[in-house]
Amino acid sequence: MGVQLFATCLIDSLFPQTGEAVVEVLERLGQTVSFPSDQTCCGQPAFNAGYWQDCRSMAVHTMRVFEDSEGPVVVPSGSCAAMIRHGYLELFANDPQLLPRARALADRTYEFSEYIVNQLGVTDLGRSYHGRLAYHPSCHLTRLLRVEKPPRQLLSALIGTDLHMLSVDCCGFGGVFAVDHGPISAHMLDYRLRQIEAIRPDLVVACDVSCLMHLEGGLRKLGSEIRCTHLAPLLVDREAALK
Amino acid sequence: MSANFSKRVELALSDSQLGENLDINAEHMRDVYAEVFGELGDLEAQRERAHQIRRDVVQNLPSYLEVFSENLERNGWHVHRATDAHQACAQVVAIARECGADRVVKSKSLLTEEIGLNHTLESAGIQPVETDLGEFIIQLRGETPSHIIAPAMHLNRQQIGQTLSEKLGMPATDDISAMNAAARATLREHFLSARVGISGVNFGIAESGMVCLLTNEGNGRMVTTLPPVHIAIMGAERLLRRAQDLPLMLSFLSRAGAGQRLSTYQSLLRTPRRADDPDGPSERHIIIVDNGRLALREGELSDILLCIRCGACLDVCPVYREIGGHSYGSVYPGPIGSVLSPGLLGTESFGHLAKASTLCGACYDICPVKIDLPTLLLRIRRRYASQGMGSTWIRWALKLYAWTMRDPSRYGWGRRLLKLATALAPKQKGWIDRLPYPASSWTESRHFPQLLGEPLRDRIQLGRDSGSSSTLPAAEPSLEESPVGARAHRDPLLEFEAQVTRLGGEFHRSSLTSLPGKLDALLSDLGIRRLLHWSRPGHPAMQRVLTFLGRSGYELISPEVPRGDFSARLRTNGSLAAAGAGLTGAAAAFGQTGTIVLPQGPGQSAITSLLPPLHIAIVASDDVYANMAEWIEAQGGGTLHSAASTLFVSGPSRTGDIEMTLTLGVHGPGRLIIFCLD
Repeated sequence: MGVQLFATCLIDSLFPQTGEAVVEVLERLGQTVSFPSDQTCCGQPAFNAGYWQDCRSMAVHTMRVFEDSEGPVVVPSGSCAAMIRHGYLELFANDPQLLPRARALADRTYEFSEYIVNQLGVTDLGRSYHGRLAYHPSCHLTRLLRVEKPPRQLLSALIGTDLHMLSVDCCGFGGVFAVDHGPISAHMLDYRLRQIEAIRPDLVVACDVSCLMHLEGGLRKLGSEIRCTHLAPLLVDREAALK
Repeated sequence: MSANFSKRVELALSDSQLGENLDINAEHMRDVYAEVFGELGDLEAQRERAHQIRRDVVQNLPSYLEVFSENLERNGWHVHRATDAHQACAQVVAIARECGADRVVKSKSLLTEEIGLNHTLESAGIQPVETDLGEFIIQLRGETPSHIIAPAMHLNRQQIGQTLSEKLGMPATDDISAMNAAARATLREHFLSARVGISGVNFGIAESGMVCLLTNEGNGRMVTTLPPVHIAIMGAERLLRRAQDLPLMLSFLSRAGAGQRLSTYQSLLRTPRRADDPDGPSERHIIIVDNGRLALREGELSDILLCIRCGACLDVCPVYREIGGHSYGSVYPGPIGSVLSPGLLGTESFGHLAKASTLCGACYDICPVKIDLPTLLLRIRRRYASQGMGSTWIRWALKLYAWTMRDPSRYGWGRRLLKLATALAPKQKGWIDRLPYPASSWTESRHFPQLLGEPLRDRIQLGRDSGSSSTLPAAEPSLEESPVGARAHRDPLLEFEAQVTRLGGEFHRSSLTSLPGKLDALLSDLGIRRLLHWSRPGHPAMQRVLTFLGRSGYELISPEVPRGDFSARLRTNGSLAAAGAGLTGAAAAFGQTGTIVLPQGPGQSAITSLLPPLHIAIVASDDVYANMAEWIEAQGGGTLHSAASTLFVSGPSRTGDIEMTLTLGVHGPGRLIIFCLD
């Protein structure tokens, strides 16, 4: 049974190359990948903002889309994977009809690096990256999913890479928070960028494009040359990583 | 309320001095937590246990409160229950008036801030004097605390020095120890002359009818020991079932609160002064305040009642780090405050605080009692949204978003529209640098990517690369954490010595025969002639020492505070406070935390280890246990349940209230010398 890719709305719309890299890595690892084409958004923005009724419609849609197959669902985003694994259970906690469905989906949903390392048992894809990397351990991946080692293991295996670990610190994105509390978010971003600039990496790497979009947007605003990438392109080749 | 919040946030964000003070605090506490929690090999199991201990209390709260009240009354306490802030304050005023007090000394209590006690006292013509150094400073400045544990953490030494110079008339200084000394001198007078002392409660012990209070400076001991009347004010949920729960909870509260293995003083107050006790308040009152707590038990926010007010969630919160405590506009700031404030005081007034979080989870990770704060914040957001509050444009934007996203074809059209819009927006190096309101909130500090080319769904090519996995390297053996496990078993006595020294205390080993001579040499070196001492009959070492020192011409005072006559009490307190040293025994000691146990009762005055600047304690090496849990287990709580109160002392009195700079000797003794008898 093949894996189902839940690309997330951000990767689908804004960072499709990252999605292609995800597919390429999974297929190199012998996985049959499918892309259920009705997929949209997991509903996290509305959930986190408190609009749970609105969120339910997106969550129910997403559950239906991935119930067509029983294959594992791989999500190249710690935050969206955490939404399905934890958020849906809270969302449907008092719904005896939907809760079992949410639980079943949660049980076969994995974040990308977690799936590769913990499910497939692979930590080295035999790739190289000659440059300086700063790994940003995103909050939901690290703290909600407890996926701490897999990205580090995959990055450590890259040949020729000077790898630096950032502390687990929020970049200030937080979804709607970034616009609802723009000034606070901007100060948090600034704090994080100072940590990044102290390392002077060529690339910042993470497993969440939402954080990366926030970080790169901030770096560009400052006129910095540092760029950001999701983990997957680094596991394919260097050109893709640099777009 | 939400508009005021935004204004306060704006003010805080533009205050670069505040920003620097907050960054320093956050980075300091990050290191501190890594150390004090990192050394616990089974941290997760301990957190789970702490969670269960507190959850059991919250679930059984009404019956535990009954048991607690009955036991307190049996121990001689006056127990008062207050349903709300108004009633609680009125009870305090009534007690203070009955004692004829026009002034009360207070140790730090958030609950008294919550119920607005100081304001009520002042209106009633009673002056409240805050005695925690940080609280004292902000009281002088007319401010409110900005942090649960470190009330003045938003200020640096220059700002504090200026306040003390203006308010106390001391010469302007940025010398932290000079500031401490000035505050100490001012507050000492208040302690010795107050008729009523008011404290909070860290834990009530239901089965023992005891109240536990933590303090580092020693002001908590002062207000619960010196004035003839003590009033403890406790949030109704702050209970533990039994004394056996204390070791873990005290360890966690100390570690999470101030990065200590055990805070300097832990007072377990069991009875008021009994017929044969030499000191202590003749009356102890407790006011158990509900103020919305019991109602919270029933609902989906009940876990917030597990909170032990350690303040760790503030220290790790990136939002708190940016905006500081005052921005929240509530007694309870930070992540815990963003749940507690709306929970206790209403979603209408404080629900907006729950939105000031990225749900990054740092608070949940550090919480010693494992409160899932992000989930509680989400539940408040749901309430807030369902009551129609919050930004209108965000509400409509999300409605539109949800309508779009629940249908793939609408999503497709939405994406095309967005692609067109981003194509038209002004760009720098391919990213959008300006967007109109309200999206400008994003572009003011970051650029936004453009939607380029086709979405993944239209370009995805599946099945190109399958089946090549055989060439891939096999998985490395998994990198299991090296088992930190139980720390290597160490000799409790050696560990005790190391810990006492680490905390700034002094440790000497001695034989019984050489002890009197050593003490004599020490005291004469220091020029001390007058000392307070315990006089418990039947303590052979103490008897021997006292006989020797008496013959050598020392003035030996076994304190006995006069009852009833307040002016006689004042005179006695004054003369006791002039003693150069206090000499006590110790019922036990704990190696892992460098702690000594001082029961208080007949012949064992509390004042002896409290008022003099030097405390000398004699411990028998046989009485050194590995830790508190082992002692309570071995003793079955015997000492705890017979003494009027029991005090755990770990090192000299200390504070870090000014710039987290450690200063020894605030209100309690600044020097602690322990003689361990072979």
